[in-house]
Amino acid sequence: MLKNVLKELCALDGVSGYEDDVRKYIEEKAAKYADEMTVDPIGNLIIFKKGKKRPKRPVMICAHMDEVGFLVNRITEDGLIRAAAVGGIDPRVLIGRRLKVGPKKLPGIISLKAIHLTTAGEREKSPALSELYVDIGASSRGEAEAKVSLGDQITFDSEPLELGDKCLKAKAIDDRVGCAVMLEMLKDVPAYDTYFVFDTNEEIGSRGATVAAQRIEPGVALIIEGTTACDMPGVPGHMQSTRQRRGAAFSIVDGGTVYSRTLREKVIAAADKAGVKWQYRESANGSTDSGVIHLAGSGALTVGLSAPVRYIHSACCMVHLPDVEEVLKAAKLFIKEAGDLRV
Amino acid sequence: MELKDKIKRLTNAYGVSGDERREISPIAAELMKPYVDKVEIDEFGNVIGYKKCGVKNAPKLLLAAHIDQIGFVITEITDEGFLRFAPIGGVDSRMLLGSELTVLTQKGPITGVVSSVPPHLQKPGDSSKSVKIQDMTLDIGMTGAQARRAVRVGDYAAFAHDTIDLLGDRVCGKAMDDRACFVCVLHALELLKDAPLAMDIIAVGTTKEEVGAHGAGSVTYRYRPEYAIAIDVGHARTPDVSPDRVPCELGKGPMIAIGSNSRPNFARRVMEIARAKEIPYQLEVCPSSTGTDAMKMQIVESGCCTLVISLPLKYMHSPVEVLSMSDVKNVGRLLAELAKSFDGRL
Repeated sequence: MLKNVLKELCALDGVSGYEDDVRKYIEEKAAKYADEMTVDPIGNLIIFKKGKKRPKRPVMICAHMDEVGFLVNRITEDGLIRAAAVGGIDPRVLIGRRLKVGPKKLPGIISLKAIHLTTAGEREKSPALSELYVDIGASSRGEAEAKVSLGDQITFDSEPLELGDKCLKAKAIDDRVGCAVMLEMLKDVPAYDTYFVFDTNEEIGSRGATVAAQRIEPGVALIIEGTTACDMPGVPGHMQSTRQRRGAAFSIVDGGTVYSRTLREKVIAAADKAGVKWQYRESANGSTDSGVIHLAGSGALTVGLSAPVRYIHSACCMVHLPDVEEVLKAAKLFIKEAGDLRV
Repeated sequence: MELKDKIKRLTNAYGVSGDERREISPIAAELMKPYVDKVEIDEFGNVIGYKKCGVKNAPKLLLAAHIDQIGFVITEITDEGFLRFAPIGGVDSRMLLGSELTVLTQKGPITGVVSSVPPHLQKPGDSSKSVKIQDMTLDIGMTGAQARRAVRVGDYAAFAHDTIDLLGDRVCGKAMDDRACFVCVLHALELLKDAPLAMDIIAVGTTKEEVGAHGAGSVTYRYRPEYAIAIDVGHARTPDVSPDRVPCELGKGPMIAIGSNSRPNFARRVMEIARAKEIPYQLEVCPSSTGTDAMKMQIVESGCCTLVISLPLKYMHSPVEVLSMSDVKNVGRLLAELAKSFDGRL
């Protein structure tokens, strides 16, 4: 079931470069559906799945396995940890949060001195990551070093939790939601032969997708993402980007790509015919793996398809699960519509 | 039950100031029952345990640790299904973005996430500006109509999450302030089980401390103790405060306050006891207000001799307050040794 797979994926830890646990999980789940499985030198899991027909040019679908987080950068005399960010994180969502530190998943926390000790002026400013530290309860460097090493990954500690009306709260929904959708897609025989790429290092600049696309040289590619839904009270409509409960979001343009209008419109026409709920991603900000994929080899036509996710890059991302079902439906249509394109 | 399990039981439960009777008061009363002659919950939610010494007209010593916690009250349910909220007690708004709160609805607890705008949509400089609580919303994953059925304006909310163990003997969670001190009092009562006493002890889990120590005031008025000790949490140093501002440290023992609200002669007596019994302690100089139940207790009726003993705590009023179990034990021991040797004469 898509929901359960998504929950299990979000419970795993894998900041950019440390995706091993996520990949292992996906390999196990995908093994029986895959025709070929390859792990490339930078950790991408590339699964080739035979379809009903051979496409004119290779079809690639991808989602990234990595999540934003931190690495242990320094351990202080007092046994506290200074962390280096992996990917874009607003330091304001870190204060008061719980974290998992290192391979032993040691609990750690980030906090501030008590409010009683602050001035009104201090409370107006939120500290930068460089001013914050992770407390694992150690009282000396030695006590901390016995349990933690420099370079260990640190992730948010946020148990996946269903809440409200069919919503899931978890860390790393960006982009385990894409991974979950692809795992579900693998169960069907696709309309055309397809490369499913679970890639790495997206959050620090799409390095996994770069080499995967250079290897596959796709003619058409679909990038499945968890994207910003900023549909909160007080945010003007033109800033909301996507909205929950409105289905799968198609990208038009972002910081890395002007997406293929031809291909998008073809998929949207099929989505309309099939009654798939969809919306545009009404923002040109951000970027996805498409930025490198559409430039690989002689170039590719790309479609960006996303689940609207609130509070991405925080401990508590939120997705409306029926939206994810719509992403799955639209992604399946993509293969059907894109496979016969001579790019 | 181990002391740590008692702390977990109490801090995993909810009881924001004014809402104690529903959940936390009965739990506190249940935990206190084995150690006192009688325990009752009054109309304000104060949990009051009596331990008589057997001497007629014996002087009374009141031990107060508050069982309420800081939190929030829901002030509005928006058409989009989000909740607006106001703080109860001192909450640093910088702890809230992207955090989970538990809303205590009529039908039970539900979880919500405090909304935040993702980095992609922020303007340069935004990430260093704090957001005011009145500008925040709580996302409970519902539509407006659903939210209005589930939540009422006036429902309470508090930091979510259960208490966890950190390295060593460090424990981390919400509402350590001041339920960990209630456990210190329980520990003292346990140590006093068969000890001969010269004073009646009134052990109280007080309410509404975070909004003005109202519970302690009312209990003190009722029982007119000659002596009253507020057992509360005290600031333990973190790297973002100077030793001049916060001289005390975690794991170094009870903090004995000295100053106008924590009577110097009473404090000196307790220090003598600590030294005699080899209990580590730290001195906390409090020239005026201690911001504890002692503020209220000191000026009830014709007055009461008060003292403040504090449990060192890091990150007070955050969702991740950190204490050391050795301090919990030592605060309990110090209270017990004081009660054993004190006859009401300083």
